[in-house]
Amino acid sequence: MTECRCFGAVAHYKPPSTDSNPTLEDPTPDYMNLLGMIFSMCGLMLKLKWCAWIAVYCSFISFANSRSSEDTKQMMSSFMLSISAVVMSYLQNPQPMSPPW
Amino acid sequence: DLRLYLLLTQVSCCQVWGRYNDDFDDGEDLAEFDDNDFAEFEDVNEDPTVEVESEPPPKPAPSSIPVEDDEDEATVEIEDGQDEFEDADAQDQDMYSKYDKDEFEGYEKTNSPFKDTLIYQDVPAHLQNSWESYYMEILMVTGLLAYIMNYIIGKNKNSRLAQAWFNSHRELLESNFALVGDDGTSKEATSTGKLNQENEHIYNLWCSGRVCCEGMLIQLKFLKRQDLLNVLARMMRPTCDQVQIKVTLNDEDMDTFVFAVGSRKAMSRLQKEMQDLSEFCGDKPKSGAKYSLPDSLSILSEMAEVSDGVMDSKMVHYITNHADKIESIHFSDQFSGPKVMQEEGQPLKLPETKKTLLFTFNVPGMGNTSPKDMDSLVPLMNMVIYSIDKVKKLRLNREGKLKADRNRARVEENFLKQTHAQRQEAAQTRREEKKRAEKERIMNEEDPERQRRLEEAAQRREQKKLEKKQMKMKQIKVKAM
Repeated sequence: MTECRCFGAVAHYKPPSTDSNPTLEDPTPDYMNLLGMIFSMCGLMLKLKWCAWIAVYCSFISFANSRSSEDTKQMMSSFMLSISAVVMSYLQNPQPMSPPW
Repeated sequence: DLRLYLLLTQVSCCQVWGRYNDDFDDGEDLAEFDDNDFAEFEDVNEDPTVEVESEPPPKPAPSSIPVEDDEDEATVEIEDGQDEFEDADAQDQDMYSKYDKDEFEGYEKTNSPFKDTLIYQDVPAHLQNSWESYYMEILMVTGLLAYIMNYIIGKNKNSRLAQAWFNSHRELLESNFALVGDDGTSKEATSTGKLNQENEHIYNLWCSGRVCCEGMLIQLKFLKRQDLLNVLARMMRPTCDQVQIKVTLNDEDMDTFVFAVGSRKAMSRLQKEMQDLSEFCGDKPKSGAKYSLPDSLSILSEMAEVSDGVMDSKMVHYITNHADKIESIHFSDQFSGPKVMQEEGQPLKLPETKKTLLFTFNVPGMGNTSPKDMDSLVPLMNMVIYSIDKVKKLRLNREGKLKADRNRARVEENFLKQTHAQRQEAAQTRREEKKRAEKERIMNEEDPERQRRLEEAAQRREQKKLEKKQMKMKQIKVKAM
């Protein structure tokens, strides 16, 4: 078998820029992050426990879908915000959550 | 004597009642009674209630034992209180029967007056000291734990699949490419020899250093096994893992043609989505029966000569044997990615094109893949390598080349026509901008002499331009005639 490798013609890897193809990127982590923040604020301001719990779920989903290049600070801050929303709702009103039915 | 005795018993009962009433001190009670023993009893209405309240306390242990044994004393006491009220109801009924009916004219005796108005408040759940009342919270936490468990399991599975793929393909890649694995961070292009993890479900591998191509990017696009929501969604609509291979070629490595073959669904989708396929392969996807391909596959081609050139016996052999794993194969010298939606008012430029070979393969298993399944993809990688060499050798004849060139010119012209209006507008705005800038410069000029000279120069330029335009119009008119 003839040698097909060409050591001289090695091209460096260029990560595909996201500006050129915004449709290829998965928007799930960004949406979930935003939703998580909105629900945390609702939970904190309106003292709704279920909002706070949904915020925790949203931040978990955002973390699971995140890209490795994404900032961990952003993830951690949304996570902390949702946890604080849950804790604050329970401190203000220790009653258990009532189901909607 | 009897009257005195009655009074004394009533006093003692009052004292007992006083103890139940937290509103005032016991000490105060005694003092009051000492001062004015009989003042309390002048109010007739109080007597019946006093008598009612005083009877239950001397009673011994409650007759009804609470059903829930694990409840605290506090609950038992309150239940006592409820018992007391119930007894009080019964006593009330007796009370009213003792009274003269005429005394209560207009009063309608109801059977259970107190039972209607009395509201039995439940003990607030958070004071009950029972975890059962927090069942919603326990459910939520369980859900979160399940999510975390699934995340760990899914991540590990994807990682194992990726490693299995790489292990089975490593030898083939290393024998064909000088550089296997590059994450783009290091200055020198050295082989990392491992996959580049972009996500918990996407792994990249860049290979370069081969004749006939610039480089090859392999993307292992696994299912989002680490996201529980995705796992549940996949139970409704199963999808499979995919391996996408994109080979970028140098200009001399490929002649000018556009070709695609794959599953029917993929072909119709790509024809709508891809810029080059929609422009150069306008006809509907054709069946591959001519080349004895399975019915599930269809072909999109710029011209018949291209199909004949690409579909040689070896290629057909590869495709037929692995038809279930092939999603799409796309060769193009005008590849620029999917159609991009341009916003209004943005001057359009012809999208940059690159000679590319794109392969999308489905991993067998439909989601329930095991690392062993990765071995079945090695023949497909062989096909990729074969395609690279083939495309280098494939040259259109003279007719084909002419046709191809005409096609490309046509596409470019269409594009320019479409954007003509926009480009004109852009040019107009640029010219106006220039004029304005020049005027401003003239205005800002301090020296009046220089100002005058600049103005004159500008005027002369304008005049020249006008004359030129008029000449052009005249020429066009003459030509038309």
